[in-house]
Amino acid sequence: MEITSFWPRRRTLGPAALVLLTLGGACYSGADGNTDSNSGPTAGPASATADDGAPTTSAGDDTSSDDTGATPAEFDPAPVRLRLLLARHYQNAVRDLLGEAAAAAATPPVDTALNGFEAIAAAQVALTDAAVDLYEKSARAVAAEAMKDPVRIAGLLGCQPTGPDDAACHRSFVTTFGRLVWRRPLTSDEQDRYTAVAQDAALQLGNFDAGVEAAIFTFLQSPYFLYQVEVGEPDPNDPEERGLTSIEMATRLSFFLLDTTPTAEILTLAESGGLDSPAEVRAVAEVMVEAPGARLALGNFYAEVLKLRTIETLAKDPNTYPQFSPTLAAAMRQETLALVDDVAFTADTDFRAILDAPYTFVNGPLAALYGLIPDPNQLGDTWQRFDLPAESKRGGILGQAAFLSAYAHVSSTSPTLRGKFVREALMCIGMPPPPPDVVTKLPEGAEYKTMRERLAQHKSEPCVGCHSLMDPIGLGLENFDGIGIFRAVENGVVLDTSETIEGLGDFDGARELGTLLRDSPEVTECMVRNLFRHATGHLEIKGEYPALTNLDLAFEDAGYRMKDLLVELVASPAFLRVGTPE
Amino acid sequence: MSRFHLSRRTMLRGAIGGTSVALALPMLDAMLNSNGTALAAGEPLPRRLVTWFFGNGVALVDATNPGAGLRWGPAEQGPGYPLTPQLAGLAGVEEYCSLLTGFDIKAAAMHRRGHHDGVAGFFSGHPFIELPHADNSYSSKSGGPTIDQVAADAIGGQTFLPSVQIAASKRVITSEGPTLQFLSHKSPDVSLPQIFSPLDLYTKLFDSFVPQDDPTKPLRLNALDAVAEDVKRLKLRVGKADQIRLDAHLSSVAQIRKQIEALAPECMQPMQPVNTNEDTDGKEPLDEVNQIMCDLLVEAFRCDITRVASFQYTGSVGYTVFHMLGQTLGHHDLTHDTNYNDSVDAATAHTIEAFGYLLKRLKATPEADGNLLDQSCIILGSDASSGYTHDVFNQPCIIAGRGGGALKHPGIHYESPSQENTSDILLACLQTVVPEATQVGSDIGLSTTPLSAIQA
Repeated sequence: MEITSFWPRRRTLGPAALVLLTLGGACYSGADGNTDSNSGPTAGPASATADDGAPTTSAGDDTSSDDTGATPAEFDPAPVRLRLLLARHYQNAVRDLLGEAAAAAATPPVDTALNGFEAIAAAQVALTDAAVDLYEKSARAVAAEAMKDPVRIAGLLGCQPTGPDDAACHRSFVTTFGRLVWRRPLTSDEQDRYTAVAQDAALQLGNFDAGVEAAIFTFLQSPYFLYQVEVGEPDPNDPEERGLTSIEMATRLSFFLLDTTPTAEILTLAESGGLDSPAEVRAVAEVMVEAPGARLALGNFYAEVLKLRTIETLAKDPNTYPQFSPTLAAAMRQETLALVDDVAFTADTDFRAILDAPYTFVNGPLAALYGLIPDPNQLGDTWQRFDLPAESKRGGILGQAAFLSAYAHVSSTSPTLRGKFVREALMCIGMPPPPPDVVTKLPEGAEYKTMRERLAQHKSEPCVGCHSLMDPIGLGLENFDGIGIFRAVENGVVLDTSETIEGLGDFDGARELGTLLRDSPEVTECMVRNLFRHATGHLEIKGEYPALTNLDLAFEDAGYRMKDLLVELVASPAFLRVGTPE
Repeated sequence: MSRFHLSRRTMLRGAIGGTSVALALPMLDAMLNSNGTALAAGEPLPRRLVTWFFGNGVALVDATNPGAGLRWGPAEQGPGYPLTPQLAGLAGVEEYCSLLTGFDIKAAAMHRRGHHDGVAGFFSGHPFIELPHADNSYSSKSGGPTIDQVAADAIGGQTFLPSVQIAASKRVITSEGPTLQFLSHKSPDVSLPQIFSPLDLYTKLFDSFVPQDDPTKPLRLNALDAVAEDVKRLKLRVGKADQIRLDAHLSSVAQIRKQIEALAPECMQPMQPVNTNEDTDGKEPLDEVNQIMCDLLVEAFRCDITRVASFQYTGSVGYTVFHMLGQTLGHHDLTHDTNYNDSVDAATAHTIEAFGYLLKRLKATPEADGNLLDQSCIILGSDASSGYTHDVFNQPCIIAGRGGGALKHPGIHYESPSQENTSDILLACLQTVVPEATQVGSDIGLSTTPLSAIQA
C-alpha cells in the first residue's frame, strides 16, 4: 500500500498558540506541596497526554521556530489497542446483520467513560464476569430472535440443508455469516471450528437450525466480534511505519463514521485492498458522511462531548425552578443536538455556527421558556425553528437551556461551572480542582444580591489564578438563570453582564460569547482533538501532534465544515497510522 | 434433630455422580458437627465479608466551625457506648457494631482530590491512579483491588458467585472515572458494575442456574470453549497491555462456564421481586429497593451462593434525593452547603437505618447455633468525613458482625489515639475471611498490622 502526502504543508502558527502557554502559568499548581505537578492545568489544544503534562505541540515543543514555520516533529502514533465495541456499536451491528427484532433482544453491557469518552474506556477496560455473562445471555437472545426470520437466515445459508448432519451447509453459513459478523474472512481453521460448533448442536438436538443458532450465539460472544481488533502491520513500502490493514480500516471507518459494522460491500472492497491508501479511504468516507447513520453518529458523539447524556437526572430545586422536569430536560438535549445536526448536515456550513447561530429549534415548552411564545401549548411537542432576537442575547449552544441548566447549581446559576465547561469541553484546557485546603462555599446573605458580588472573593489569592479563566465567562451569561430563563434583574439589581475574556475580547451574553469563541483557534482545535479522541479511543500523545496540527489547518481550509473534517480526519495519518502494540 | 455428619462435598458427589464441579450448597443441619458450630468435616462455617458505602460523609456539629467535629459518634468509648441520634438505626444490633473514629486514610495522604481520596483509599488501601486531565477536570482509577475483591479472589471460588455488587440509589457519578462510579475493583482496569434492580439481583443470585437436563447446556458450554479458544489465539497477536485484558476476559469466560455447569442449591428460594428500581415522578424507590436488596443478599448468604458483597447505598458525590424526608435537593449539594447541615444530618440517620436493616436481617437469620451476623464482617465507610470539608481524617466507619468469632463482641467505640491507618481496619476484617492474609493496600496506604482493638 502506498500512503501519499502526509505532510502537505507547513504553516506559521498563529499567536493564539503563544497565548495558551501563558494561560497555564496563570493558574495555580498545587497547594502545600500536596498536589502533584500533574494536577496543574495544562495549556493548549492538545493539553492532555497519556504520559505527561507537557505543553502541546502547537503551543510548545518548538516555539522558537514560530516565525519560520514550525517543523512538525516526527509523527509517532500511540501503541494500538483492542477496542471493545460500544453498546450502540454492538446493537447497531446486530441490527444490520440480523434485523431490528434481533437488535431489540440485545443486552450489551453499559458503557463506561474515561477522560470523558466511552471510546477511551473501551480501549482500556477489561471484561468482567458480569460483562461476559451479559454477552452470553445477549448472544443467545439475539440468536433465538434471529431464527424467527427464516428468509434472512436462508439468505445467509446459501444452501438447502439436507438434514442435521449437512456439514457443508453449516460451513457455508459459518463462512458467510462469520465474515460479516467478524468483519473479516475466517481462516479455514476457524471455519472448521465453527462448523463443528454448528454440527455438534444440530446433531445433539436433531435439528439443522439449532446448529445455525448455536453458531450465531458463539460468533457473537467471540472476541473477534466484541473487540475492534486493531493490530496493524508494517507498511510494505516503508517498514518503519505501521498502518491498519485495509480490512481493519473498514471496521474503524464504519464504527467511527456510522456507529455500525461495515457493510458487505465495504468488506469486499477492503478485502481487495481497496482501503489501503488515504485517497481510497477518503473516497469511501465521502460517501459515508452522506448516509443518515453519519448524522446519528455525530449526534451521539456530541451528546457525549457536551455532557448531555444524563441531563434528565439533573437535580433542580422545584421551588426555584418549577418549570424544570425530566421531560423538559430531554427536550433541552434535543434542541442542542438539533442545532449541531442542522449546522453539520442540513446547512452543511461553517461548524462554528453552533457557537453563535441566531436561530434554534424548540418545542412548545422550550419556546415558552425562552419567551418566544406566551403559552407552551401553542406548540406542544411540535418542533419548530425560531429566529432569536439579538436583544435576547441568545444564540448558539451556550444560549441554550441544556448547557445553562447543566452548568448551574440546584437553585442558582454557577458562573464558575459555566466557565469551566467552556474552558474544558470547548477549549480543551483542563482546570484543576480547588486546592484541598480551600473552603469553596460562596458567601450568602442579604448583602450579596448577585453572583458577581458573591464571587468577588475569587479575585484574591489563591483563587484568582484559575477563576480569572472561568468566572468572567459565566458572569457574562448571568442574564440566564439556572435553567436558562432570561432575566434582566436579580434581587432588585439590574445585572451587568459586560465581560472581558483575556486574550479573546469583550462580550455580553451567550451570542457574543459564541462569536468570540468561534474566532478562537483553541476552540476549533479542541473540536478536532475531541473528534480524534473518540475516533481512535485514546488521548493524543506528543507524537500525534504533527498530524493533528495538519488537521487543524485542513479544517480551516475547508471553511470549518464538519463533514469535511470527518473526511480529513479519517484520511489523516492520525487515523490511518498506529503504533506497534505494547 | 439427627445429624448425619454428611460432608458438603459428599453431598455434592452424591448429587452429580462424582464429577468435580465446585459448588456451594446450603448449610443443612446434617452437614454440621454435633455442636452446630462448624461443619462436620471440621471446616469452619463459611464467613462473609461486605463493604457498605454511602457518599458524601456526615454533617458537621457546627456548620460554621469544621474543627468542632461531626454529628456522628458519642464521646463515650468502649463497649456499651450510647447511640447518638445519627446511629439510632443500630438499635437492636449495637452489640454487633464497633464504631471506629479518629482514623486516617494513609493511602490518601497526598490529599489529591476530595471524594476520590476518601472512597478509593478507604476501601482499598491503595492510592488511586489519577488520569490525565482532558476535557474533564478530574478523574481517576482505583489503584488496586478493593478489600471485597481481595477476599473474593481468595474465597470466591468456593461459591456460585465469587462476589456480588449491589447498589440502591442510581444517582451515581459517571464522569470522574471508575473510582467514583464503582465500589468494587479487581484492578485499575477491572471495575465491577453494581446491580441497581432488585429483579436483576434476584435473577443473578437465584434464577441463573441451568437445569441439569437443559438440552442447551452443552451448547452453551461449547460456545464458551470456542470463545476461549478465540481469545487465546487473539492474545498471541496483541501487546502486553491487551494480553492482560484478554487474561481477564478468559478468566471471566471460565467463571461463567462454571456457573452454567453449577447445580442449583437445594435451598428455599425467595420470592421473585417485581421492583426494578424505576423512578416514580423523578423519585427513587430508595427504601423499598434497600429492603429487597438486603433480603436477597441475606438469602444468598444463607444459601451460600456467595460470601462476598459490596453494597453502594448512595454514590460518591451522589445526588440521591432523600425525598422521603421531605428533601428536594441532591445529597452531594446538601453536604457542600452549610445551610443544609440539618438535612444532611437527617439523611445520615436515614442511611444508618438502612444499614441497620441489613444487620437486623442477618441477625434474624439462624445459621448453626448462631446467626448470619455472627459469621459476617461488614465494613461501613464513606468518601469524606463531611462533604463540606472533604477531610479523610475521621471518616465514618462501623465494623459490624462477629466475623466468625474473630471480632470483638460486644462491639466497642474505639477512638484511635494516634490517627491509625484505615488499612489496619481492612486487614483485621480481611483476616476474618482470609486468616492467612498478612497485608492490605500498597505504598503509603500499606498495612501489615491488623487493628487489634477490634479483634477478639
